[in-house]
Amino acid sequence: MARTTFRFVDFRLIVVGLVFVLAWAGIGYRLFQVQGADAATLAQRGFDQRVRHETIQAKRGTIYDRDGIELAITVHAKALVADPSLVEEPEEAASILAPIVGADYVELVQRLKADGRFTYVARRLTGDTVDRAREAITSADLVGFTFRDEPLRLYPAGSLASPVIGLTRLDDGSGTEGIEAVMDTELSGRAGKRIVERDQAGRAIPQAEFLLEPAVAGSDVVLTLDREIQYTAESALQAGIDRSGALGGSAIVMSVASGEILAMVSLPGFDGSDRSTLDPATLRNRAVTDVYEPGSTLKVVTVAAALEEGVVRPDTPFETPHEIAIGGETYTDHGYNPAVMTVSDIVEKSSNVGTIKIQRQLGNEAHYRYLDAFGLGRPASIDFAGESAGQLQHVSEWKTATAGTSAAIGYGVGVTPLQMAAIYATLANEGEWVEPHVVSEIIALDGERTVTEPRRHQVISPETARTMRGMLRRVVEDGTGFRAEIDEFPVGGKTGTSDKFIVETGRYSETDTIAWFIGIAPIDDPEIVVVVVLDAPSGKIEDGRYDMKFGGTSAAPIFAEIAESALHQLGVSPTHDGDA
Amino acid sequence: MTAGVLPRSTNRRVGERSRARQRPVVRPLLIFTIAVILAFFAVIYSRISLDRTAFELQRLDREVVAEQERHWNLRADYAHLQAPELITQRAAALGLVYPEDRRTIEITGMANTVGGPEDRWMDMRALLVEQP
Repeated sequence: MARTTFRFVDFRLIVVGLVFVLAWAGIGYRLFQVQGADAATLAQRGFDQRVRHETIQAKRGTIYDRDGIELAITVHAKALVADPSLVEEPEEAASILAPIVGADYVELVQRLKADGRFTYVARRLTGDTVDRAREAITSADLVGFTFRDEPLRLYPAGSLASPVIGLTRLDDGSGTEGIEAVMDTELSGRAGKRIVERDQAGRAIPQAEFLLEPAVAGSDVVLTLDREIQYTAESALQAGIDRSGALGGSAIVMSVASGEILAMVSLPGFDGSDRSTLDPATLRNRAVTDVYEPGSTLKVVTVAAALEEGVVRPDTPFETPHEIAIGGETYTDHGYNPAVMTVSDIVEKSSNVGTIKIQRQLGNEAHYRYLDAFGLGRPASIDFAGESAGQLQHVSEWKTATAGTSAAIGYGVGVTPLQMAAIYATLANEGEWVEPHVVSEIIALDGERTVTEPRRHQVISPETARTMRGMLRRVVEDGTGFRAEIDEFPVGGKTGTSDKFIVETGRYSETDTIAWFIGIAPIDDPEIVVVVVLDAPSGKIEDGRYDMKFGGTSAAPIFAEIAESALHQLGVSPTHDGDA
Repeated sequence: MTAGVLPRSTNRRVGERSRARQRPVVRPLLIFTIAVILAFFAVIYSRISLDRTAFELQRLDREVVAEQERHWNLRADYAHLQAPELITQRAAALGLVYPEDRRTIEITGMANTVGGPEDRWMDMRALLVEQP
């Protein structure tokens, strides 16, 4: 019987053989896994790494003023992006790129070390910065960095008309405020799609880019704003706010015949190009979002309605005691007026008592009908984001005895400055209400133009409108609005002062007021209506004799400055020689 | 003596056939090989040429984009330079002030009203459509 002896050499051979067998088995298994079992998954992963579906952002349309000057424009910018999984030396890359693109070194290193396959290194890079960053990436042979096209929205005139123009979001460029938001669909255009093959470093491979769908640029929007008038209005209002210490204010310049808004100011405002200064409180457009009680400025509706209904004539006399008690409320006049006044006198002296008496002759039903016809209780326009409808209760809800009388003198009714501009423009436009609007036209990429056609309707007769203008002229000539007078043009208008309603307490402030002046210029051949509203003006003028909290003292001078400049800008001849 | 009887021509044909059988057919093979090599190089050349063209197109694309960027940046700069606030600041810096006394000159025939959109955009319309 033979006996097999174990030899060391045999053992080594067996071990080596086993190693080979195992190695080949491993290779075979891996081969099977890569080429067989996981082939589809791995192929897809490779495809995904190499081939990317990219969205081509459409160029956002430009917003122009009425003279074709850019108010909001999109320029090409670049975003420097990185794939952290490809970045080999994050510290080195950050030390090279951070100073060029203005990024924080520590933060950039953290982002480049993070998991994931995408991070922004810097955004909204333009011109020289892009060139320097590109050169640094090439010379240092940095891998994993690419540039992406990124539109940058600029507002060349800075803060001018910013609450009207609005803002866009940083991420997707869509409009969030103002015209940018209201006209977002038209301005945005349509994004395109493309497939791009990229190499290991993330660079696009030539001949490996396929356009699936081209991007279609957005339409341009032309506004009715006039930059010069807007600037003058902003400057004058800001000066008025500084003089009076008001918390804020708004002003509107409106063309009476067309309903075009030539200027719309809301202060404090913001600069859309400098987002570091943005304050949510300044984003709103006070001229359309804030609701105030109009005070005496609404008396024109009461009087115009009474004239139109034939209830009174301009020379109809009324007994006007200093105060009148209705439904348990006592209404008084500011200062002392004659015991008997005509309707014209009542408007000129802004008599609460007289206006209430006129309203009681008119009746609530008719009064409400005219308030409604003049556009109160609903948004005046469709062009403004967040425009308030104001507050006008239906006459059936005027339950208290004082509802009508309060409305007659501008209390218990909430209005926006824009609604008031439309009311006075109606008086200036022979009794025809024209929808105020700020979008003049939309110009599509193919040149097709969509011109705004404002809504119109007749509210009062031209005769009544002319009579009202005559009364408004007297307010400036001899009444409470004398500080609105302009040397070269006869103007008319109405002052208004209402106690400020404090929402938090649910009561009227004992000190703060809302000061109004709304005027028409020139009054004999109207071109524009100017509305000025100040929120809580205070202080004294003329050696402390006059309180700035009244519309006649604080708002009227601002009106004069804006109206005079606007008429010059519009080329209106200052050769008017008479009253309306 | 049998060999001497055979005609010379027959001997030559047999010899040629024998040589033909021994000599490989080189010329067609050579031509084929050259053709293949030429085709190979032609394909490579065309690929290189295509790639060069692709790079050239890419460069031109970049130039077009750069010019468009320049166009829009210049427009933004132009609009910025026309900003009333900027002009006012520059005027103030130059020592210009608003006149205290003004005199209005009326030019006969000049429009006295606010122009409508149609008046303002007659010239601008074509320009906008042609923009990049």
